[in-house]
Amino acid sequence: MKTGAKIRDKLTPYAFLSPAILSMTILSFLPIAYTIYIAFTNFSLNHFRQYQFVGLKNFIDIINGPLRTVFLPVLIWTIVFALIATLSNYIIGLFLAVLLNNKNMWETNIYRAILIIPWALPSTIAILAWQGLYNQDYGGINTLLSYFHIAKIPWLTDPFWARVGIIIASAWMGYPFMMNASLGGLQAIPPELYEVADLDGATWFQKLRLITIPMLMSSALPLIISSFAFNFNNFGSVFLITGGGPPRTDTAFAGTTDLLVSSAYKMTMQFNRYDLASALSIIIFLIVGTLSFINMKMTHAFEEVD
Amino acid sequence: MRPNERVTLWVSRIIIWAFIIVILFPVAWVVGASLGTGDAFFTGTIFPRRISFQNYIDLFQKTQLLTWIKNSLILCFGVAIIQSILTSTSSYAFSRMKFVGRKNGLMTLLILQMFPTFMSLPAIYGILAKLDLLDNLYVFMLVLAGGSAFNIWLLKGYIDGLPKELDEAALVDGASYWQIFVRIILPLTAPMLVVIFLFSFIGTYSEFILSSAVLKSPESYTVALGLQRFINNQFSAHWTLFAAASVVASLPLVIIFMALQRYLQQGLAAGAVKG
Repeated sequence: MKTGAKIRDKLTPYAFLSPAILSMTILSFLPIAYTIYIAFTNFSLNHFRQYQFVGLKNFIDIINGPLRTVFLPVLIWTIVFALIATLSNYIIGLFLAVLLNNKNMWETNIYRAILIIPWALPSTIAILAWQGLYNQDYGGINTLLSYFHIAKIPWLTDPFWARVGIIIASAWMGYPFMMNASLGGLQAIPPELYEVADLDGATWFQKLRLITIPMLMSSALPLIISSFAFNFNNFGSVFLITGGGPPRTDTAFAGTTDLLVSSAYKMTMQFNRYDLASALSIIIFLIVGTLSFINMKMTHAFEEVD
Repeated sequence: MRPNERVTLWVSRIIIWAFIIVILFPVAWVVGASLGTGDAFFTGTIFPRRISFQNYIDLFQKTQLLTWIKNSLILCFGVAIIQSILTSTSSYAFSRMKFVGRKNGLMTLLILQMFPTFMSLPAIYGILAKLDLLDNLYVFMLVLAGGSAFNIWLLKGYIDGLPKELDEAALVDGASYWQIFVRIILPLTAPMLVVIFLFSFIGTYSEFILSSAVLKSPESYTVALGLQRFINNQFSAHWTLFAAASVVASLPLVIIFMALQRYLQQGLAAGAVKG
């Protein structure tokens, strides 16, 4: 009887965990394991029922084989996009937060509520609306530009402008989060520091450079890293605005604006190359996983595991 | 206020107003477009000259928007409820119980969280295609409800912050773990559970990658998927109709978001990025 109660006590935690363990094993863990397995096979539409183990072939093809010329430009653009998008999110967010964090501005909360609107919209729908804004002939932006007698910009058909367009849309969607985070960080800075600086006759810019930025960095760096990881995989901004296009002349596999994640998606859905898609996913994971790992080290997430 | 403070204040205001105008322009254009007629935009005006609600009427008569909204709501509520349950029981166990594998379990969650959900797209698509389970809203609900590693960490942290004496006293009084969970922990974690419920709800409402792979027929589309197909297929020239659909589809989420902003920010401050 007593041992029975003891065993039951020992099993209780697992009973509470079982729903999560069960669902995560079936729906997260096994698919990931299967993805890793597929990456080493030739599973595709041509080999749908019977596929073989091919070792590292997919990875070699992508990194240093016939597909290198396809994916190297995609990788470079993915990194460039993630860097610019993250920095513009942060700089605009910080800039607005500094302006809003003014004790003389009684109506700050009204501005804050308005400036947060892009964040409150369902992201997929907001991004689709950007596709409309960029329409060359009747989109909102070119119509607006025509009032200033600026020629129509080929937002969706020219590789350069398509890339600029995606970055603008991502900045628009992403700055409210950074603005909010920065406002939180700014309010945590002790006001005495600014009072002392005022006594010393510091200028607005000196206070920003010597007090505000250094004090914000410790909380901002993890946010910047996770935002970089998010933008690295910002599927929606690319797929829903340009569909990865305009197309490249040298390959059908990826367009000029495709990120690694959207080209992995196309590999699965358009070309039925599950093998290549899985290998790409693993490459993406290695990059993003490394960043997340650094991030967790910095935020001491691992030390919380006690 | 000293003179230079007054100058700073007014310069700040003017810059903020300029930003507000630029940032609201896309929203205003979509709302404006939704009130116009199909032709207004080909003549090159920013906002329509005549206001008409015809697009909103057409939306409910000629498109399947209502079906898509219904599907989205079923999916979002289902996913959010399942994830809240999974999260609350397991966070309680991780926070309050000692057991073999606890440390490794928490570590595994951290690592699973690093795998983006789309990563398993080829696998999930491949398996569902083989089992002939594509295009089923309820199977899809289960697929989406699976991963909630981040939420478990979030709620575990919250429960860690609750006084241990409360449930230890109840344990001494002979309450079972289940009774403690239902009567003490759940009521105390209610604010954070609301946040987790909303995270799941908002995330699912905008989910596109997996939906577009798994849901095939227009009858089972979600709002996000339906609108994407709508704009890229038959209605590509009907921007004004699409604009009206965007307004209708966005309103519920905007209202929820604005009303619960405080709670959401508290949760988002813990390090999430809205997907």
